[in-house]
Amino acid sequence: MAAAKGRVHPLPPLAEKFEMPQGLRLAWRTVARNRLRSFLMMLGVLVGIASLTALDSVGESTRRETLRRFQRMVGTFDTVIVRPGANRSRGMPSLTNVEPSLKFTDARAIAAEVAAVRQVALLQNAFDVDVRSRDQAASPAIFGVSANWTDLRGEEVAAGAFFADEEVAGLARVAVLGADAAAALFPGQGVAGPLGQTVRIGEVPFVVKGVLRPRGAGPAGASLDNLVYIPVTTASRRLFNRDFLTMAIAQLRDPSQSETALRDIRALLRERHQLAAAAQDDFTLISPRAAFGRVAAMGGVLARILRGVAVLAMVIGGVVITSLMLVGVAERRREIGVRRSVGASRGDILWQFLLEALLVSAGGGLIGSLLGLGGTQAAIRLQHLPAVPPWGALGWAALLSVGLGLLFGVHPAWKAARVDPVAALRS
Amino acid sequence: MIELLAVSKTYTRADGAPVAALAGVSFSIDAGEMVALRGPSGSGKSSLLNILGCLDTPSAGRYLLAGEEVSRCTDRQLSRLRCQRIGFIFQSFNLLPRTTAVENVELPMAYAGRAVDRARALALLDRVGLSARAHHYATELSGGEQQRVAIARAVINDPPLILADEPTGNLDSAAGAEVMRLLRELHAEGRTVLLVTHDDEIAAAAGRELRLRDGALVGDTALAGAG
Repeated sequence: MAAAKGRVHPLPPLAEKFEMPQGLRLAWRTVARNRLRSFLMMLGVLVGIASLTALDSVGESTRRETLRRFQRMVGTFDTVIVRPGANRSRGMPSLTNVEPSLKFTDARAIAAEVAAVRQVALLQNAFDVDVRSRDQAASPAIFGVSANWTDLRGEEVAAGAFFADEEVAGLARVAVLGADAAAALFPGQGVAGPLGQTVRIGEVPFVVKGVLRPRGAGPAGASLDNLVYIPVTTASRRLFNRDFLTMAIAQLRDPSQSETALRDIRALLRERHQLAAAAQDDFTLISPRAAFGRVAAMGGVLARILRGVAVLAMVIGGVVITSLMLVGVAERRREIGVRRSVGASRGDILWQFLLEALLVSAGGGLIGSLLGLGGTQAAIRLQHLPAVPPWGALGWAALLSVGLGLLFGVHPAWKAARVDPVAALRS
Repeated sequence: MIELLAVSKTYTRADGAPVAALAGVSFSIDAGEMVALRGPSGSGKSSLLNILGCLDTPSAGRYLLAGEEVSRCTDRQLSRLRCQRIGFIFQSFNLLPRTTAVENVELPMAYAGRAVDRARALALLDRVGLSARAHHYATELSGGEQQRVAIARAVINDPPLILADEPTGNLDSAAGAEVMRLLRELHAEGRTVLLVTHDDEIAAAAGRELRLRDGALVGDTALAGAG
């Protein structure tokens, strides 16, 4: 009886449905129309990501700066530092505070007999020695060193030259001035001015052979430039009259051999010092890389605490997302019913709400990482820290914010998908 | 278009007792019919409409919509049927509140797997006489206007079946008459229209009347109306 009118509506085949861009547009609309709520949902993620990004970048930057200063002090990392005495005194050694146990011959033996060692630099130093030029006086540190010292410390001369092996062998009375010492003894004479002039260290005259480039501050912040280098042999025989070293630095052939080198140097020195098996070492061996690890670890503790706080902020932010979304689901029951009636599947609804959560947390992550990077730039500029590329921090921020959206959005989205459309439409 | 075979729907009450909303209902509706569904409240009209609209599935029996077995469909398949085979019109309009008229009309397109076609939505609004109100929010429209937006929304995906649940129940007589005119127009286009109503006059627009009482079909009459 029905099709009596002749015209019956055609039945096209059912199309496959729903694509991501549509869902994203839909989610964006909701987020954009509930600005205050979206902002509140964003806040926790935003704060968390901002502080995490800043922490990460500033932390990395600080670590690099510490490394730089440390390296400036020790020169190269691939060394073993030998200090006389068993006690691990922290400060810089000098003739007045070390035991007279590390002899010149010990250092030469290390160079000759330990296979992992390429060369050994010798140091005999004293602080606050009176040094005079013709009309000025100063009290820089005096570093009696071997000629290979520059290889290990990376000292560079600004004018003149460092002394050579022959001058060390010949007990030459030549001096190379650190930048600060040069400025104090020869004010206003320029970098090359002191060359060829005489300085008196104690009562002994030395001819200035070179002036060094400034190195800046060490890890403790003190200047590394207020010193005068002289040949270690001259220091020992003509100036201080001491036959022991304050430090020897063994440069390794291969950085990976530091364990072997430490073991062999220790065995050699114990033998040479004729220590009984039960006796303590009368020297101390230091691996700069390990020492730096300890310095860096101290900064790490603070960073870890702050990072915990940032994570806490994000978790709170996530809980806010969940609870506000649950309120939203309750408020939007009718909307869900309508959408279901016009063809949304449970999966569509799930996606819509999940995308809303993702959009909000990704937005929070984006704004947060921009703020964090802004803060980092400010910190770097204020403290003159080296800049670090932000990609690592940005990657983490993106991953974390999306992960948070998923984690804390999935429960409300699931609830939204389970809303019974029949009941929702009747209400 | 619609074929129901011994369809039952049983709900479980909060105290655990089963309640039969529909008990073995069988009938069929051909493509292009306009049918009124009547019965006192509690007779199972809503349950039947929910099943016919693929919002709910029968507890027992079979339901074939345009030759497809609905009773065994997954949620996703049911959604596809609702989206492309069925247009809903509700007594309370059910437009999304903070959304403009044209966006409401576009809504089903988003779920139909094609790009949203703004021109088509505007053309349909024009057809129900609301092109001037296309960019007003749903809450700014009168009841009659909201129901006409709902009609445009119902046909945006060009479904062959229209289910109208008391479409004039919340409207004054002038607005109701306009809605009925549009429904007859949809019928004249060849769509199958099922209309739940209390009103004799409105039922008379249909060519056939189904009566429900206590979850059972108690009457199936051909009417002189439009059928």
